[in-house]
Amino acid sequence: MKFEDKIDLYSDEGKLLAEKVPIEALHPYRNPYMKEIYLTLKRTAIVDLGKLQGMLRDGRTGWSTTVGQDEIKMPWYGLDLDLVEDSEEIAEELKKMLQLKEGDDTNIISLEGGSLLVVQLPLEVLRLSADYSPAFTQVSVALGQIIAKKYGLDNPLDRPYRFGMLKNCLHGRYPQYVGPNPGNPVAPLMKVPSILEGMGTGYKSFMINHVVALGNNRTLHAVALATIFEQGAQFEMGNAIGWYERYQLLGSAFQGFNANNLVLDMVKENARGTAYDVVLTLMERALADGVIEEPPRKYPFVQPSGYKLYQLKDYAMWNAYGVAALLAAVIVNSGAMRAAQNTSAVLGSWNDFIAFEGGGLPDPDAGRVMGTGLGFGFYTHGLYGGAGPGAFTMDHVIVRHTSGFLTPCIVAGMCLDAGSQIFRPNVTSGLYYTLAEELPIFQNPLEKLAEAAESIKGEI
Amino acid sequence: MARPRRARKPKYKPQVYPGADKVSDRRRKAADPTKKLAKFRSIPDDNIVLLLGHRFKGESYVSVHPPLDELVEKYDPIKNIVEPTPGARAGDRIRYIQFADSIFYPPMAPWLRPRLYMSRLRGCDVMVYSGRQLLEQRERDIEASSKWLLETEVYDPARDAIRGITVHGHSLRLDEDGLMFDARRRYKLNKETGEVEYIKNMHAEVLDNPIPVGRPLTEREARGHDCTYRWDVAAYKSRTEILTVIARYSRGRITGGFNPELTEIINNSR
Repeated sequence: MKFEDKIDLYSDEGKLLAEKVPIEALHPYRNPYMKEIYLTLKRTAIVDLGKLQGMLRDGRTGWSTTVGQDEIKMPWYGLDLDLVEDSEEIAEELKKMLQLKEGDDTNIISLEGGSLLVVQLPLEVLRLSADYSPAFTQVSVALGQIIAKKYGLDNPLDRPYRFGMLKNCLHGRYPQYVGPNPGNPVAPLMKVPSILEGMGTGYKSFMINHVVALGNNRTLHAVALATIFEQGAQFEMGNAIGWYERYQLLGSAFQGFNANNLVLDMVKENARGTAYDVVLTLMERALADGVIEEPPRKYPFVQPSGYKLYQLKDYAMWNAYGVAALLAAVIVNSGAMRAAQNTSAVLGSWNDFIAFEGGGLPDPDAGRVMGTGLGFGFYTHGLYGGAGPGAFTMDHVIVRHTSGFLTPCIVAGMCLDAGSQIFRPNVTSGLYYTLAEELPIFQNPLEKLAEAAESIKGEI
Repeated sequence: MARPRRARKPKYKPQVYPGADKVSDRRRKAADPTKKLAKFRSIPDDNIVLLLGHRFKGESYVSVHPPLDELVEKYDPIKNIVEPTPGARAGDRIRYIQFADSIFYPPMAPWLRPRLYMSRLRGCDVMVYSGRQLLEQRERDIEASSKWLLETEVYDPARDAIRGITVHGHSLRLDEDGLMFDARRRYKLNKETGEVEYIKNMHAEVLDNPIPVGRPLTEREARGHDCTYRWDVAAYKSRTEILTVIARYSRGRITGGFNPELTEIINNSR
């Protein structure tokens, strides 16, 4: 066992799920549940046959933003194909083409009367490929061949524009552009590797609203999923090696997975309180649990006015308490307003309270949360314009600068929104609600995570 | 109407802010919800509505979603724990008030306002940007908060102003009447009554009747309520304690961000 720390995991209703779990059992690459989530993300692609059918019919493809998906329309090149009606056959063919051998783990789920296919590639493909591109490339090319064969597009010399249209509907402008169109009918769950923001940011390339939808608007469940995605990325981009490993594990356990019921306790205690009250609860808890301690009664530890410079016992643990309190403060403030827009207020302005309350103790994530939060506030308010908090992806240049402790808070804010946003999850992420229903892996993440941690406790 | 909520009594004794001088006290008072802000003036509710300019006097509140009691939502235990504000419960629109604070003896400053708001108001959205501070809440909550903010000691009619647009002016010299510059001329000093009167609302739309918001603080009073250090209010040297804390804060951030295992160095850095 690398680290001594053990924690208890609680559900969002305060039920004890697992006791004395070593924090290494919550390591993204060791916890079986987290591993399964990452593999699911990599191997799953969504095929929107309904949309593809419409695009082919209208000759509508090659757009460059998600909002305007009708910049180019060439109905005279259109193809009237009944893809949705034939979806069963298409799915069957697709499975045959994608599987490595008969009866392997290739999986295709047909949804919404066949207009939507959830395609899962064999794990072996993902294990051997350099990245998760096959979730897009293989599915897209296979689909192209199936459509060509099935609808008599088998002679390339006969009206070749039809092939051009089919290629464009499936692959967008790629490779003229670095990836397919935004909102492409064939898409992996994450951003395609060629348009990632940086090395290792794949797992956090989700839109905040998608995570909210995957968590089915249940605050702590969505927060847990966001933390799993974020920490997967942190470990992948090298931000959790050596010095940082314990820091990341503790932070994610206390903020994301409701360790020791800390977040829930803080929220309950301040259910009728303000964001500042959470700071007081944090100081109380940290002193009681021995995370910080009273300073010696002499200068400079006690200043002439009687102001105390509290002493840290363990910085990583203090940070974990800090980020948990941060989430609690966001929940208390957003929960009172039942709106998401004030997450940035807490993220950008609340951290000062900790510094001055604790006598200059570092605030959550050593100030990165505050810095990022201020920028996030600018771009979610009229000051510089921008989007609603839910429309940001977790790897967006505005929100990606913390060690994975900021976006779970935004997710919490969006879960508590009662309908004040233009970019609401049910507007932007309807598909992900369906996915959450159909893929049981995304349901009850806190319980599954605790179960998985319990199962590997012995090994650690 | 506007009453900041009573702060709960924690077992832990809050220290809020370092320093023993007058300015530190002002800052501590702003951030400490147990301290009551002195009431300086009375402004009728209707006048607050007119000043904000979000709705007409007597008009009912517009809602963005059904009242929470009628809203069918997905199950989430957290939603049942945190108590929504009256405005949120009714599904009100979200509206704002924005203050610009002069740099000449201000009773409040943009960087201090978030601490004032977040320690006393529930469900608030704050955002600061060069000389201005935005406060957003549900409509009936923002009206209550605005009343409280305009009636108490944190507002000086001459040196703080409500500005929704054209916020510029916080760092310019005060005019001949001692008022902060406003390119939109939203307010003026009524020399007969000695009170500042708003002739336009926050969005610089002309009002039917001028709205008095009380007399400006005198130079002496303003110095007494100043929340910034300057040579004739509180000497820079009196900031030693604050500088110690800020230095510790910065070093802790740098060290902790560099290597979270260096607890000892964070503790000893001052």
